[in-house]
Amino acid sequence: MVDTKDILKEFDPLTQEDNERKDDLGEVQRDSETVSTENSNERSSSNSRNERTYEDDQFFDFRLFAKQFRNPQADPLVKYTKSFLHNFATQRAVWTPEEQVKLINDFRLFIFGKLKVYEPFKSLDKAGLHNAEEGIEKLIMGKLYTRCFSPTLIENVNEDTVDKYHLKDIEDDELLIAKVKEYRFIELSNLDIPNKLYTRLDKFVELAGKELNKVNGFKAPRDKMVCILNSCRVIFGLLKHHRLDKEGADSFIPLLIFIILKGDIANLVSNIRYIERFRYEKFLRGEESYYLSSYQAAYNFILSMDETSLTVADNNEFDRKYKENQKLLMEEKEQKDRENAQLKQSSKEAVSSGATSKNSLDEVTNSMISMFNDLFTSSQQKPEEMGDQNKRNKKDEDVTQLINRMEEQEHKDTVDTLCSMFPDFDREIIEDVCVAKKYRIGVCVDTLLSLYN
Amino acid sequence: MLQFKLVLLGDSSVGKSSIVNRFVKDSFEDLRESTIGAAFLSQTIKLNDNGKEVIVKFEIWDTAGQERYKSLAPMYYRNANAALVVYDITELDSLNKAKTWVEELKNKVGDDNIVIYLVGNKLDVCEKDSSKRLVSLEGAKEYAKEQGLLFIETSAKTGANIKETFQEIGEKLYDIKKTEVNTDLDGNTGEIEISKPSTNDTTSCCS
Repeated sequence: MVDTKDILKEFDPLTQEDNERKDDLGEVQRDSETVSTENSNERSSSNSRNERTYEDDQFFDFRLFAKQFRNPQADPLVKYTKSFLHNFATQRAVWTPEEQVKLINDFRLFIFGKLKVYEPFKSLDKAGLHNAEEGIEKLIMGKLYTRCFSPTLIENVNEDTVDKYHLKDIEDDELLIAKVKEYRFIELSNLDIPNKLYTRLDKFVELAGKELNKVNGFKAPRDKMVCILNSCRVIFGLLKHHRLDKEGADSFIPLLIFIILKGDIANLVSNIRYIERFRYEKFLRGEESYYLSSYQAAYNFILSMDETSLTVADNNEFDRKYKENQKLLMEEKEQKDRENAQLKQSSKEAVSSGATSKNSLDEVTNSMISMFNDLFTSSQQKPEEMGDQNKRNKKDEDVTQLINRMEEQEHKDTVDTLCSMFPDFDREIIEDVCVAKKYRIGVCVDTLLSLYN
Repeated sequence: MLQFKLVLLGDSSVGKSSIVNRFVKDSFEDLRESTIGAAFLSQTIKLNDNGKEVIVKFEIWDTAGQERYKSLAPMYYRNANAALVVYDITELDSLNKAKTWVEELKNKVGDDNIVIYLVGNKLDVCEKDSSKRLVSLEGAKEYAKEQGLLFIETSAKTGANIKETFQEIGEKLYDIKKTEVNTDLDGNTGEIEISKPSTNDTTSCCS
């Protein structure tokens, strides 16, 4: 693979420091393996065991990283990053996913090594360093999102120049949507889901779908992963409700497929593949891998779905529903055609609407990332031009305000959804639970379920 | 700490999830890292290597046992170090299904790359009423021997042989890992460092 080595050289801002780089890499790799364990040990001693959740273990503070990164002592790191981003964006308009993964991984290893050389990162403990590594990933993926996430890539470059792998993502997204429409009428029993009486099924399905759809509002692989896990938490909330959670995958996988069929999830295939490609392998814990694989398994099942993939007790009844749905789909299509004569234009928009729709939470990230806007400009730029202190403070203030506002809205949404799932509870009770559980959706659902029972 | 991926295969009524729930619940170590649900569980065990304590962590991947989800299994068993293929000793057909899993693993993953453990569950049912047993111990044992599988009968309900099963897998995987590392080092008798990255090539970690 001579090609990739050449590409690498182009992106390596410091080829002359190759030896130093090699050593750094070794160190980073060894350390990163122990970070998560140490981190969780520390935390489990300060939290009571019952309170331990995924979020506690995987503490991440992007604001802290952003502040550290703008410290003048970290200027060399900023320069490396600028240089990398600049080259990534200008060397070629389109890279294949494989090339992108290679370039980003190599830079990641390089810059992780450099974190141990420059203050303020150099003197951080392992947890702090891990936070910085997560911050780097979020920063560079935020910057490269439009080039790496297939639905935004085809919006931004000439479609004829896009490689077949990115195009395949889009095709599969469209095929999945088509399949979901074709089979949206199916019931739990068609998927071999244990036939117990599911109370509030529709609310849980709605919430799981809503959590899942949030993937389109985030750019960082980590943030998208959190959305995936949250939707799985809601599914297990439902299973716990019916004492089916101990049955593991036998109940979980069919229900996951059901959620995808009932939810209106945009760009699901592209999102899952993006996480798989760009979430740093070492950060992906076993549990995350498992649920990511389950999503892949689930969408693959739907992509190749036909009547034979389903359990059908009454063929005539199934056919009737299928035809009825086909008729409905036709009507919907005609309606759409009428509404918009330029179907071609509108379908293109439909594909991308999920990808570009702004999510409130990611606006915070966007505004923080925009503070590093000059990262795309020439790497010759002087570090002093990063902006004067006043400007920085002003921006910090804006971001804090924005975050507060977003959080408020997000909290209100959570309470609203939970109220509709648990109409027997007063809103005040639900609010109390949310405050006590810090608005973490999975834990809130668990708690309310235990109160309910 | 050594870490191994273990995948659970078997029909939906054989109790494969119960085996793991029992193992995780009964184990002495309270280092549970699963936070979402019972489809993915992890648990550590301790091994004794000539007086040296070795900690082994299992990451256990459950699969949907219903026939129609069979095609999803490769997503789960890729890169697995071990597979627990579970059948129900009171259901003759469940052994046949287990045999198809064994064949699939051998064809798709290969004997050298995965440790396969054949597990006959629901021993408690037969201890109460021996007429319930439909799969003979000898027959299954013979099959396992022919195929070169580890074999045991368990009861997730009483906990019989559950811990032993995981202990044995842990030991087997540890032995394999040790041999691999020793072969890699080729005469170099220094400290065994399993997670050490190859440093022959500066780009090797990503190629």
